[in-house]
Amino acid sequence: MSEDAISTIPVPSAPKRRLRGIRFNLEVRRDISSWWQAAYLAGFIALGIGISAIILIWAGVPAGDLVDQFLVETLTDSDNLRSVLFQGAPFILVGLSASVAFRARFWNLGLEGQMIWGGIGATFISIHHIGPEAFRLPIMIFAAAACAMAWVAIAGQLKLKLAVNEIISTLLMNYVALNFLYHLLYGPWRDATDGFPHSPKYADFERLPDVFGFSGALPLALIVALVIWWLVSFTRFGFYMKFVQASDKVAGAVGIPVARITLISVLLSGALAGIAGFVVASGQEGRLIQNFSDGYLFSGILIAFLSRNNPIVAVIVAMLVSMLFISGQSLQVFYQIPFAMVQLVQAIVVICVAASEFLIRHRIHIVR
Amino acid sequence: MTPALDLVDIRKTFDSFVALDDARFSAYSGEVHALLGENGAGKSSLMNVACGLYTPDAGQMLLYGAEVSLSGPSEASARGIGMVHQHFKLVKPFTVAENILLANPRRNFGKGIREISDEIRKRSDALGFNIDPTRRVGELSVAEQQRTEILKVLVGGARILILDEPTAVLTDQEAETLLTTVRGIAAEGAAIILVTHKLADVKKFADRVTVMRGGKTVATIDPSTKTTDELTELTVGANLPLPARTPGQFGRRRIEVINLRCTRADGHVALEDASFHVRAGEIYGIAGVSGNGQSELAEALMGVRTPESGLIQIEDAGEAVSAASPARMRALGAAFIPADRYSYALAGSLSITENFAVGGVGSGRYGSWSRLRQSAMKRDAEAAIAAFDVQGVRTLSQKAALLSGGNAQKLVIAREFSRSPNVIVAHSPSRGLDARATAAVHSRLMSARESGAAVILISEDLDEVLALSDRIGVMTHGRLVAEFDAPADRQQVGRAMVGHV
Amino acid sequence: MYELFINWIANTPGYAAPYALAALGLILCERAGVLNLTAEGIMLVGALSGIGATLIMGGYPPVAIIIAMIMAALVSMLFATMTVLLRVNQVIAGLAMVFFCQGLTALLGNLFEWKNQPITGIGRIDIWPLSEIPVVGHIFFSQDMIVFLIVPIFYLVNRMLTRSMVGLRLRAVGESPEASDAAGINVTAYRFLTVMAGSALVGLAGAYISVASTKIWVDNVTAGRGWIALALVIFARWRPWRALLGALLFGAIESAMPRIAAAGIKVPQYFMLMLPYVVTLGVMIWVAWSKRGGATDEPGALGQPHVREERR
Repeated sequence: MSEDAISTIPVPSAPKRRLRGIRFNLEVRRDISSWWQAAYLAGFIALGIGISAIILIWAGVPAGDLVDQFLVETLTDSDNLRSVLFQGAPFILVGLSASVAFRARFWNLGLEGQMIWGGIGATFISIHHIGPEAFRLPIMIFAAAACAMAWVAIAGQLKLKLAVNEIISTLLMNYVALNFLYHLLYGPWRDATDGFPHSPKYADFERLPDVFGFSGALPLALIVALVIWWLVSFTRFGFYMKFVQASDKVAGAVGIPVARITLISVLLSGALAGIAGFVVASGQEGRLIQNFSDGYLFSGILIAFLSRNNPIVAVIVAMLVSMLFISGQSLQVFYQIPFAMVQLVQAIVVICVAASEFLIRHRIHIVR
Repeated sequence: MTPALDLVDIRKTFDSFVALDDARFSAYSGEVHALLGENGAGKSSLMNVACGLYTPDAGQMLLYGAEVSLSGPSEASARGIGMVHQHFKLVKPFTVAENILLANPRRNFGKGIREISDEIRKRSDALGFNIDPTRRVGELSVAEQQRTEILKVLVGGARILILDEPTAVLTDQEAETLLTTVRGIAAEGAAIILVTHKLADVKKFADRVTVMRGGKTVATIDPSTKTTDELTELTVGANLPLPARTPGQFGRRRIEVINLRCTRADGHVALEDASFHVRAGEIYGIAGVSGNGQSELAEALMGVRTPESGLIQIEDAGEAVSAASPARMRALGAAFIPADRYSYALAGSLSITENFAVGGVGSGRYGSWSRLRQSAMKRDAEAAIAAFDVQGVRTLSQKAALLSGGNAQKLVIAREFSRSPNVIVAHSPSRGLDARATAAVHSRLMSARESGAAVILISEDLDEVLALSDRIGVMTHGRLVAEFDAPADRQQVGRAMVGHV
Repeated sequence: MYELFINWIANTPGYAAPYALAALGLILCERAGVLNLTAEGIMLVGALSGIGATLIMGGYPPVAIIIAMIMAALVSMLFATMTVLLRVNQVIAGLAMVFFCQGLTALLGNLFEWKNQPITGIGRIDIWPLSEIPVVGHIFFSQDMIVFLIVPIFYLVNRMLTRSMVGLRLRAVGESPEASDAAGINVTAYRFLTVMAGSALVGLAGAYISVASTKIWVDNVTAGRGWIALALVIFARWRPWRALLGALLFGAIESAMPRIAAAGIKVPQYFMLMLPYVVTLGVMIWVAWSKRGGATDEPGALGQPHVREERR
């Protein structure tokens, strides 16, 4: 039989292994239908949620109340619903930010630092009253994006020119950005009227307008998501990104401008995070406050990871994360569960999904 | 006399692919027994069974007459079966002694290193190997690394040595030295199994040869009783016609390399003062043993490696234009078939359509920058797959990595040739391919030549270079030391490959 | 002023200890080929366990520290399972572990009410009469137990790595899993156990922070030191003694921060707090700059899961 007619890919492994008398063989699957993949994914997400539920019950939340809190209350209570819809916007944006960067093989873990700079940029415009009232809002958004872009560009150039590991550099820069924020809020930008460490309030025309009674942040985020989706699915840039993600060596060899594609992706990622920062600062308190960026880094990573960097799926996952977030706040108020629980649930889900990849890629044969 | 190693009716399947179909093989102490076959014939699989890496689905293995069932490579090694792999299993930053100690552990490190070093020196002297146990493996030449591998199994007490394609990375002279040494080891009572696809080696050095094809054992004979043609027929099944050579019609110079110099990251000068030119309608073959700068030359030609000094000029509408980046070279009409497909040609995790289309996306063929047309890509890919006989494609959206070696290469050629290139750089284009796929690749190169393209063929396979080239350049130690016109004398070329320093 | 200077040097080892121990643990993992980003999380586990054990037992800090190391090793099994057995991408697994540990420790610290509870912890030991020697006495002979143990620990680990069969195999697994596999070494087992051992050291670093330095548990008491330790490993080019040197440098910087304020030098408070992170960035840039295009000391197979015979 000619070797050309068949694939030689999946060579199953070595001699059968023994595990306490059960012999099993590990085989790489040749291909797996998308339906099965989705089923496995859903199953493991459910497992993750299940484990989290058990922890919550052990921590003192009555089981019945869990479903109540997480699903019913968040969606039916109108205040909660408003919060969920509003919160969804920055989650969508950081999720997109992480996805765009990951597609270019750049681990942008500086999301929170970039959000901070986004907030700083917008607040600068507000404090110094730059630009006419009618254009103030777009200018603030632009400034937010620009500052965040400049911040991430440092890490981006360090990687491209000096091969400095971006995981550590972007993370360290988060701490630098945070301390700078404290410096501003406790110093020059401290609100003179009440002496608290937050910036002076934004004027009404400097905040996102409401649309149909709900915050304008969500429509903004959805439009951005559509733009990103168009970018990665239909444009030449998106096509090139696919290659860079698959193998930057091959991409370079076939003539794709890898460095340029990577840099643009990184800058775009930064801009998205910066806008997210502005959305949170402007929408939550209407001013720059101390820890407004907390919790967004891992949320962004989770959204990118679960949605496999697909912008449309990212929107859905972001809304689910938003529900988790708001429920977390309720849990904190009613059951004294620390907000860190949200982070724990997120981590458990990611771990379960990551573990599921193994089962998707391999098949285990029990040999008797 | 009982054979040292006896494999009886071995059967091994992977999913639905039958790698070994009731294969039989036996080797006696004191003989050099060759295992001959094309790529994919099952030689490696059979030897993997012998050294414990694979467990057969059916069949028996006997060592010195007693049946054994190996639990893994450690047991095989303990029982005296030593395998010298084609791709060396050495830890480059470690010294020779550390590598051998790793495979032959002792209880105490300090004492172990001393003991092993002594033994290395003794055996090395006895065999004429000249290996210093304190040198780092990464600094050794390929031939020296191979000798380290042999020492490794000998120190481990191997009485049955399996050498997998040992001469693939050696010059003719080094190969001769190795095989003579190996005969010496056999004469001391070991059984040597030589896995190879080179008929010349078989005829010269083997006492017996077992021919495999398609997972089956076809024959076990004394090679001195058969002619080369007869052996070829047994190995391949039929005599493949050689691609017909039309007399060359050479046009003007299409690509010129001037004083190219490339330095590797560790400071070693890989390519020095390389200069040559290729005309339209000509195949310029670069012969040489791998590791003499060919990879660096190929990378520089592809635009992937920046040369330290020197120029590559491509003729563009009558003018010589310096080319540096891959994009620029492709824009000037160059096409590339690299040696390592998955490093420089195909993205394994992307679909066949995408891998094909990336060649034309930049030129606007598949839509503008803002809107790519998937349907046009699919249509062109389908046509190309049919035209270039790429098989094993269930759907166009399957991952490129699922294609077999020969078909993946055909896909690369389909993409690269789709724009009728003026210059083609092919680096080891038939490496890892079986005879049929190789013939297909060769005929594509020949037809490109006939259409007036300038082809640079860099290959370690001297037969390939001799068969296809109009002119041959020989590379040793990073320099082009000689040039020959076709038809070239193999002996002369071979001497140039080793003679000049 | 002179006093301040002596004070600064004498306090440096205390600040350097967590960096040194964490970096050593990470070096072990990475020499075996596993990219371990979990440091920040495992340090938190060690820190919480140390405090928790002390509070439960009502003292006995040395025992608490051992318990912390064991807890760290146990938690690291989750990471080892993901990366070594299930071949999950080592970056994702590492990040998930950090956030898992951050969330878990914050939750447990709250639930068990171990938060904000000061303990006596590990105190300084004065080796009398040597500690009375002017200048050097205070610096070299007046430290806590763990600091005294650091040099022996480093010596032992380094000796194990370079002059023992176990160390040889460990390094082989990190440089070339294929060669190790062919030599009959169980790559999976080596990597799994190395992750546990390395994590025990990282847990020790975390326990030191909470039991010896701050002597109290608060959320995220490690404040990013785990990431700095990772940068240290790159700076140290995966060699233990260089890591110790780098740790001393960082310890010196951290030790200097409160003393600069005490000396009356006016630096904006938050810029001071930025200093460790900025310096770390600077070190990373310097290391990358000096190695431009050069050969790397990185273990050959770092970050790549080992798969036997999976052909492309």
